[in-house]
Amino acid sequence: MKKTLPLLVASTALCATLGLPAWSGPSAPFYGIPLGTVTAGAGTSNTASLLFVSDDDDEGHGWLRWLENDDDDDDDCEDDDDDDDRRERKYGEDDDDCGEVAPNPAPAGTVAPPPNGLFSTDTPPQVQVN
Amino acid sequence: MKSLLATLALTTALTLPGLAMARPVTLTTQLKNYSGDGAYLAVYVTDPQGAYAGSLWMAGRKSKYYKHLTDWYRFTGGDTAQINGITGASVGAGRSLKISLDLADALFDAGYTLHIDAAVEDRRDSPNEISVPLTSEGAGTAVTGRSYIANFTYDM
Repeated sequence: MKKTLPLLVASTALCATLGLPAWSGPSAPFYGIPLGTVTAGAGTSNTASLLFVSDDDDEGHGWLRWLENDDDDDDDCEDDDDDDDRRERKYGEDDDDCGEVAPNPAPAGTVAPPPNGLFSTDTPPQVQVN
Repeated sequence: MKSLLATLALTTALTLPGLAMARPVTLTTQLKNYSGDGAYLAVYVTDPQGAYAGSLWMAGRKSKYYKHLTDWYRFTGGDTAQINGITGASVGAGRSLKISLDLADALFDAGYTLHIDAAVEDRRDSPNEISVPLTSEGAGTAVTGRSYIANFTYDM
């Protein structure tokens, strides 16, 4: 019984020493090595890899990230690319899957201006951006 | 010949009041050289009581961003029917947006105010960045913006 306890403590300490750095390792690319290289190396090796490779874009949180209040709004239905209209025009796609939002308005020239009494004619405004 | 003359007089009589009620106006908005994506701009008018009268232009096509144009959104609830047919692309930093339109003559010198809300992705929203009374005297006078708009002018 006297020997069991020190052995248990020692093994726990050893696990913690080896395990924590691996657990909190940075996301790919790993120390400048591309993710593909790391994956291929692990696949061809006969030894088990201790690397925890993640493709998460949120770097810098480490293994304590679950304790943190993450204010990152990357996934709150905000489109990071304000100029994705160009992509939509080119590919004819709209990747906005953000649930219920109002439909996008009709662009100028496709329908008459709204009858709000401000416009004296149905002629759409002429716009020029320099 | 008599009927032709009568027709001409009638069409002239019908057309003239319409022309007199229309006022060609050019709205020019010069953006600052801030660092960031294109700005969403909501151009709208309030009546003498400060109530929303209607929109003149929306720069920015994605309705999901309109909540950042906070005053306009508060007035309209984000109703895109308000801006159907008067919506275009967002305006990049340092660029100038020139809108030419025929406005009702009754808007001028009658207590109406033109407002511009501005918003840029990942930047602070700027409601009521421009607020300028629509008067004959104010035409051609540059108004300075607070955050993203360097200056705004309306010409008649």
